[in-house]
Amino acid sequence: MQDRPEPILDIQNVEKIYRSKGALFGARRKDVVALRNVSLKICEGEIFGLVGESGSGKTTVGRLIVGLEDVTAGNILLDRENITQLKGRALKAFRRKVQMIFQDPYQSLNPQRSVLDTVSEPLVIHRLGRSADRKEQVHKALKAAGLSPPENFFYRYPHRLSGGQRQRVAIARAMVLNPKFVIADEPTSMLDASISAQIFNILLKLRESLDVTQMFITHSLAAARYLCDRIAVIYRGKVMEVGSGEMVIRNPRHPYTQALIDALPKFRTRGVVKRYDTLLEKDRRLEATLTGCPFYPRCAVADERRCHREDPELKLLGDGHYVACFRLA
Amino acid sequence: MALLEVENLCIDYRTKNGYLRAVDGVSFSLDRGQSLGFVGESGCGKTTIGMGLMGLLPPNGFIREGRILFEGEDLVKLSPDEMRAVRWRKIAMIFQAAMNALNPVQRVGDQVAEAILVHNPGLSKEKAMEQVEELFELVGIETDRMRDYPHQYSGGMKQRAIIAMALACRPALIIADEPTTALDVIVQDQILAETRALQKEFNIGIIFISHDISIVADMCHDIGVMYAGQLVEYGSREEVFEDPVHPYTKALLSSFPTLTGQKADLVPIPGETPDLIEPQLGCRFCDRCREQIPSCKEKTPEWVAMGHRHKALCCRCEMGR
Repeated sequence: MQDRPEPILDIQNVEKIYRSKGALFGARRKDVVALRNVSLKICEGEIFGLVGESGSGKTTVGRLIVGLEDVTAGNILLDRENITQLKGRALKAFRRKVQMIFQDPYQSLNPQRSVLDTVSEPLVIHRLGRSADRKEQVHKALKAAGLSPPENFFYRYPHRLSGGQRQRVAIARAMVLNPKFVIADEPTSMLDASISAQIFNILLKLRESLDVTQMFITHSLAAARYLCDRIAVIYRGKVMEVGSGEMVIRNPRHPYTQALIDALPKFRTRGVVKRYDTLLEKDRRLEATLTGCPFYPRCAVADERRCHREDPELKLLGDGHYVACFRLA
Repeated sequence: MALLEVENLCIDYRTKNGYLRAVDGVSFSLDRGQSLGFVGESGCGKTTIGMGLMGLLPPNGFIREGRILFEGEDLVKLSPDEMRAVRWRKIAMIFQAAMNALNPVQRVGDQVAEAILVHNPGLSKEKAMEQVEELFELVGIETDRMRDYPHQYSGGMKQRAIIAMALACRPALIIADEPTTALDVIVQDQILAETRALQKEFNIGIIFISHDISIVADMCHDIGVMYAGQLVEYGSREEVFEDPVHPYTKALLSSFPTLTGQKADLVPIPGETPDLIEPQLGCRFCDRCREQIPSCKEKTPEWVAMGHRHKALCCRCEMGR
């Protein structure tokens, strides 16, 4: 899709459907399509932003990459190795390369484990180094995550850490294995703005110092703009627009991206950001079908004849900017 | 006369380690039809102010000092029974994560009707349901969804139902505590627009409490910036956001990512919020402050008037005056 050399992660036509078993007494089975035909390429050393509302499937993408869920169709290639079929030893080896930072640091850390235990656990699981060396690696990881001096945190338990410190422990835990690829799933949505900025800066620094490729999953376009080289906007399981951060935000081409930008509070942007008005006043109340553009029911500029029958594909507009919309073809 | 006038409000929590002053000497006033926003990091006391105004502080919290004059009457002096007559009828609140506040086994319409009936004992159920219908139209829920249960609603619809409930008794003041935090931006935008329209229509005073500066900046005429239980800067939206004087306000603004401006200027605030059980002498922000001067640590800062209503609690501003 993007003509850049050697993507480290290559997501090819991935589909994910959650099958529902239906109720005991006869309710119809309803499958939930979480992702439809998602293709993305992420290059080495880049921070890639995946932006979408809740329920858009952005977290599902992350979980599929780490192998917490199985794809329904399609392939995911990390370093040219297909990871959707991995089992046993190969799967364990793969998990060393990819790590995830979860949304809520109040839930992702075990309250009964000290920071040292938590951060060294991945090393124990993967049988890396002897215990003396492990301590040193934990030291390094904590330092990289901005907890200094690290010794002071070794024997603390999560309840004695603030939200920002907890998230930094979670970052250290992800980084201790020297992964190639890290997925950060809304790492700051539980934190205050001033603390979020600290976490953003740590993620940026990690890219510089450890050369980790990152996927940053967020609902905030502003945060993605600050952190990411490229951004993909996802809606109801479909990638609507991909491009460099500045391009997508300064010059959004998909009506959905435009609606998102319209909806942001106009703080300090009065008169700078123009309005697009691409959102319908009232939704077209249509049954959600698999055919057609998922944004059609809310799109004010949709083509009534075409948009609800055919599914637009991502088309290159130039300069690495891809948009899935018939209106632009 | 102002709708609400709060003077030197101090709210304490009893804790194992002594009294924690969550709100310390906060004063502000609000007119009908106006909105006032409180911003600050978590733990700065903004929710406690809301709960204090509603008379809904948790059992270990109490108002130590100060007056809350609502339509000329001091709410602090009211008995719990008298307060119950004011609460919800005259002052309503939209709580944080309000969508979880609905009863899952009762129809949404009935729940809103209940709020009306409790406060108007003489009213018949049918009359109340008629009012509910009006309210639903007002907040933009189709009236045929009145007989649905909360799980059949989307997050945005539940939030609208909660707003309908808050409007049920035509209050003069609404306290909205993080009213849209759990919602998507597009839904948030719709709800904020509706709130603005309803405020205008019924001439309601609104207090917005949020950690999201952009929402408060969008919605409020006046802004109060809070830090460690104190109001540190107060003024009109334009004054506070376009010409901030308190270093904390400046730091807060520069740690907030926006869609315009330079990418590189996101600056985190170093350090952690201070202990409120034994607050430090002098300015509470000085350990994290970029612009601190020696006297910040010793001298308790005083309010400095910067403009018409614009004021800041800062020693440096005092010097510059």
